[in-house]
Amino acid sequence: MRLDWDAAYLDGRTAARRPASVHITRTGIDIALRESATRFFWPFREIRQTQGAYAGEQVRLERGGDLAEVLLVGDIGFLSAARAASPEAAHLHEPGRRRFRVGLTFGALLAAVALAVGIYYVAIPAFAGVAAARVPVAWEEKLGAAIVDHFAPPSRRCEDPARQARIDAIVAQLTASVQPRPYTFRITIVNSGIVNAVAAPGGHIIVFRGLLERTDSAEELAGVLAHEVQHVLHRHVTRAIFQQASTGVLMAALVGDVSGVVAYGLQGARTLGDLQMNRAAESEADRDGMRLLQEAGIDTEGMITFFDKLSKYEREHGGDSLTRYLRSHPTTAERIATLRGLAAAAPRPERRLLGEDDWNNVKSLCGELPEDSRSPQR
Amino acid sequence: MADTCPRCGFAEVASDKCPQCGVVVTTYRASLDKLRRGPQPGGISPFARGPVSRPESASVPEAPTGAPAAAPSTPGWLSAPPPPATQAAAPSSGSRQASFRGSGATLFGVHIVNALLILATLGIYYFWAKVRVRAYLWSESEFEGDRFAYHGTGRELIIGFVKAFAFFLLPMTLLNTLPEIFEASALVIMATRLLVSILAGIFIPVAIVGARRYRLSRTSWRGIRFSLRTSTRPFVSLWVRGWLLTSFTMGLYYPAFVTNQHRFLTSNTWFGSERFAFDGRGRDLIPVWFASIILFFPTFGLSWFWFLAKRQRYYAEHTRVAGARFRSTVTAPKLAWLTISTWIGLLCTLGMAWPWLTVRKVRRTFAWLSLDGSLALDSITQQAQQVNATGEGLAGFFDADLGFT
Repeated sequence: MRLDWDAAYLDGRTAARRPASVHITRTGIDIALRESATRFFWPFREIRQTQGAYAGEQVRLERGGDLAEVLLVGDIGFLSAARAASPEAAHLHEPGRRRFRVGLTFGALLAAVALAVGIYYVAIPAFAGVAAARVPVAWEEKLGAAIVDHFAPPSRRCEDPARQARIDAIVAQLTASVQPRPYTFRITIVNSGIVNAVAAPGGHIIVFRGLLERTDSAEELAGVLAHEVQHVLHRHVTRAIFQQASTGVLMAALVGDVSGVVAYGLQGARTLGDLQMNRAAESEADRDGMRLLQEAGIDTEGMITFFDKLSKYEREHGGDSLTRYLRSHPTTAERIATLRGLAAAAPRPERRLLGEDDWNNVKSLCGELPEDSRSPQR
Repeated sequence: MADTCPRCGFAEVASDKCPQCGVVVTTYRASLDKLRRGPQPGGISPFARGPVSRPESASVPEAPTGAPAAAPSTPGWLSAPPPPATQAAAPSSGSRQASFRGSGATLFGVHIVNALLILATLGIYYFWAKVRVRAYLWSESEFEGDRFAYHGTGRELIIGFVKAFAFFLLPMTLLNTLPEIFEASALVIMATRLLVSILAGIFIPVAIVGARRYRLSRTSWRGIRFSLRTSTRPFVSLWVRGWLLTSFTMGLYYPAFVTNQHRFLTSNTWFGSERFAFDGRGRDLIPVWFASIILFFPTFGLSWFWFLAKRQRYYAEHTRVAGARFRSTVTAPKLAWLTISTWIGLLCTLGMAWPWLTVRKVRRTFAWLSLDGSLALDSITQQAQQVNATGEGLAGFFDADLGFT
């Protein structure tokens, strides 16, 4: 076992690097400075190793308080020799175990991935559910109002009290059976060609003109509203906000400190992931929306026809504003089949909500319809 | 009596009280003397072990004479004259460069273990993870055959974070939301919003100085600590004045503003007892700044790199330390390629490639920078200061990272 090593000594007071030789003993190391012939002794238990645990680093030993004395040894073989010479040197890094450490790092990689997946699919949804259920309704209402102001600034709203009242009546009929009902539902119609409807927290529902104009009956709109009302009742949006924030933290933990461009790219990846998770929320809103229609005595066929119509239209005119609705509301054949199965369980009511002429009147709430934006069917 | 403040280094102290940091010079000196007269340990290993309590932000620019070393209970301040028997202090001359010896793969390994521990501790480990990454980057950086060392700890960082959270983020958030929750009038809401943005604006320079002060004080080379020795207030007023002048002059003051910031931070940076000097003037950068603004849209913003590269070269050439002068060979195409390819790499790998990209960036940065002329290191002595990590925590909220990680 080699006991004598070349080293450099830094006294922690000057920037001078002094060549030294080191002799390993059973309890510590003897350091001798070359020029001055000064000798001193460092017991192992007072030595800290601060560098030299990674490939390419030199061994750095420190002794003393904040502004410590430093001993630098270029050869990592020194560490093995010191560990072999004294049990008191066991806290020093063992270069022989580096290969093992690489293996551990791979293990850590697998564990980190497994943990991240578990957090993403189990812990975050559970946390978001619990947290969302504890948000006071008043907060949700405030948040919802802010979202409505963002999507539908007052200048872009379609204001027609008479026709709006007919739509509000549909909502009232739809939600009559909901017990308990903490929310006051408010429908805002936005003058925009986008085919979409958005549920904001706290009972706010935004319907875009494009969607309204593509409905052929009051039942079709009622189907969409039933779906959105369930989003509100299940607090899906509030939950999604918690989920988004937590996945953001998870991403930061996995990727480290990122800013600017990368954060933007991550946002995209996150949205994709969140959409995936939203499928569950969508089928929940479908299922319970369907139930709502049945309890309110509204023909469920309207909901099915409208979603079916959207999916056909999507196939024919892929990539226009319609797809926005579809991207957040996947209209697969499977989804429609599920809806049909649910609808078949209850008898269809005889009465219709509104006559066809009446409905054509209501849906032109944002002004007279141009000929080409009438419904894609017929 | 005094001409230089012993606490903050302010040059023109006419009366007994320093106009910059407010310290009473005679009292301060007396307390320093008291500390200096502590029991003197023998031998060559004079430094205290274990925790030492220190007065708030004590830093002493002048090397004391007499007492060879600090005592075991030494607060704040450790300094010593040149050692009696070292090798001949002939300054070496020539061109020197730092080099980076680490690898992206090792850094990735560090990162993986960090990620696991951060997840397992629900985020608490974040602060220790940051320390491990910095310690690796520092200790693989070599200059003149010696490695840098990072001395920060996770404990310091978490305390800094908690303090910054309690004294800055929490009050600001409350100030921002309380008026709305209590449904105050629109005027009150407007007023508090304005107040919050003004306060946030003032906290940015505080964070910049604080983070830099902390990081320098936790960085050493050849056992000698770096430090930033100045109080924060002049930088805040420089910052506020700079913003106002930049807006009033439609941006024309901008080169002077950034140069003033750089001068302040550089010329108050010390390596042990050696002070960095900066003699650049903002007006020298106005032509290149103006040209790159004119060409900004025709070149899709690439002309900005022209300004950035020129600024890096100019700042390097006007910075001196220990008799040597920095020099940078960075050019606009080099800088543009490094920056853009790093962004693209990060984006394409969703950030997973950052260990390799960080190593690449450090290598390039070192390759561009050199220190020319005779470098007199042997007369440099240790002069450390006591710094906490609150500014570092504050900077985390602003994303005001300086340099790598």
